[in-house]
Amino acid sequence: MDSQGEVTNLLAAWGKGDQNALNELMPLVYNELHRMARRAWTRQQQGNTLQPTELINEAFLRLAGAENASFQNRCHFLAVACTAMRQILVNHAKSRHTGKRGSGGVALSIDDVQLAVNQEAAEVVALHEALTRLHDLDPRKSQVVEMRYFGGLSIEETAEALGISVITVNRDWRLARTWLIREMNGETA
Amino acid sequence: MNAATPWDEIERLFHATVDLPPDERAVLLASATPPLRAEVESLLRTNDREAFDLPPVHLAADLLDQNTGALAPGQRVAGYEIEELIATGGMGEVYRARDSEANLVALKILRRHLVLSPQAIDRFETEACAASALHHPNIVRICESGDSSAGLFIAMEWVDGPTFRQLISSTEVDAALAVDCCEQATRALAAAHAAGILHRDIKPENIILRSDGVLKMLDFGLARLEGPVRLEPESMGSSGTISGTLSGTLLYMSPEILRGEMATTASDVFSLGALLYEVWVGRHPFAGDTPLDVFEAIECREVAAPSTLRACIPREVDEILLRMLDRNPECRPGAEEACAVFSRFSERT
Repeated sequence: MDSQGEVTNLLAAWGKGDQNALNELMPLVYNELHRMARRAWTRQQQGNTLQPTELINEAFLRLAGAENASFQNRCHFLAVACTAMRQILVNHAKSRHTGKRGSGGVALSIDDVQLAVNQEAAEVVALHEALTRLHDLDPRKSQVVEMRYFGGLSIEETAEALGISVITVNRDWRLARTWLIREMNGETA
Repeated sequence: MNAATPWDEIERLFHATVDLPPDERAVLLASATPPLRAEVESLLRTNDREAFDLPPVHLAADLLDQNTGALAPGQRVAGYEIEELIATGGMGEVYRARDSEANLVALKILRRHLVLSPQAIDRFETEACAASALHHPNIVRICESGDSSAGLFIAMEWVDGPTFRQLISSTEVDAALAVDCCEQATRALAAAHAAGILHRDIKPENIILRSDGVLKMLDFGLARLEGPVRLEPESMGSSGTISGTLSGTLLYMSPEILRGEMATTASDVFSLGALLYEVWVGRHPFAGDTPLDVFEAIECREVAAPSTLRACIPREVDEILLRMLDRNPECRPGAEEACAVFSRFSERT
């Protein structure tokens, strides 16, 4: 498949430090994940939640191909895919949060469930903003959170993808989580 | 946080203290500079709190709103060229579009990926099927239906004009127009009933008065021959709770439908009666502040004769409307009979 070769080449180029490759890669991955999320959802019964990580793994197989993919390529791919997933989920939360759904005559019911949904969406957006601030302070920790939280990767997968130890991921995750929650609560020292 | 405190020092002290018992923590913290100490203490407080987690994030069905919204003008769906989005519902949209010969159509699209239940697809197909079986000048004509890259679609005759909802809420409908509407609407319903099809969701939004004065009944989505009226997924909000859609429809439900009985031609007659009453009087016969009030009104409130609310209403109209709204389905006239009354009356005016 053409796109497989393209993605593999872009991953390799990015691995060699070509930042443009990343710019080209991101929309490809974003669109693929988004498309897959949509398709996967229609296959699911209502009420099942999809795991972002399943989608990311499947997207990797589709976009980069299974056999000829190097370990390095896979690590790079995970980084891109988790960022794309973050964008997808945050965009989604934003659209939900503003309540911009179907402008037709159908009134939105403001009930407890709807409020809970809005609340949850608002929190995801707040987390995203806090995570952006954490990135300025400590880029690696923000990436650990991105991969664990938005990409659904395990501690081990995150360690592998970032080329750091499991202990480091654990420590990063713990401090970053605490820091983010404090940020979101508006508390400071 | 304090910009003067280096992040790596915060990190080191946090990890050094977080798993210690309070007294040992205190010793370590005491040796730190005041800003560092304050910063780490605040992080530890957050860490120690019981309800401690990041908000949940889900891939949810409505994620699909993104990028999958309205089709753009100029886009083609099953050979139709999209011109403009004219209405949005929970699971689909209606567009003004043109067919290959540049005729206007209303293109209703059910977004397959937004559909959570087989019943919704069922409803959509029923609409396509029921309305295609009906050929009547007062029933919106279905040109074509099928599956496309954008989803299931129904292409139907384009009708330019206000819905009855818009008509009722904007002006007082004059008597000649009201009687004409009554005649056309009952004629459409009589035709459907003669073909063995019930509408089951008659409400002002589902009837359009075309600019040339021809009335068109649409949305046979609930049409079916038999079976109790179920709450369709569309009348449920996205969160699964009952939204405004239901209470809107509630006003036009007959007492027997509210009791969960089978829909019959008589229940359609009742719904249309309530709607036509509103056309004449400008007020719904069962209006209420809450759904419960509406329930009660439909069940027991005496319906005021239209002529007591608007002087110009003739006795025949009074009688037939009140009969259409009779609580006993067996006492209601058929659509055909009601139509005959209205047309006799319209000839005389």
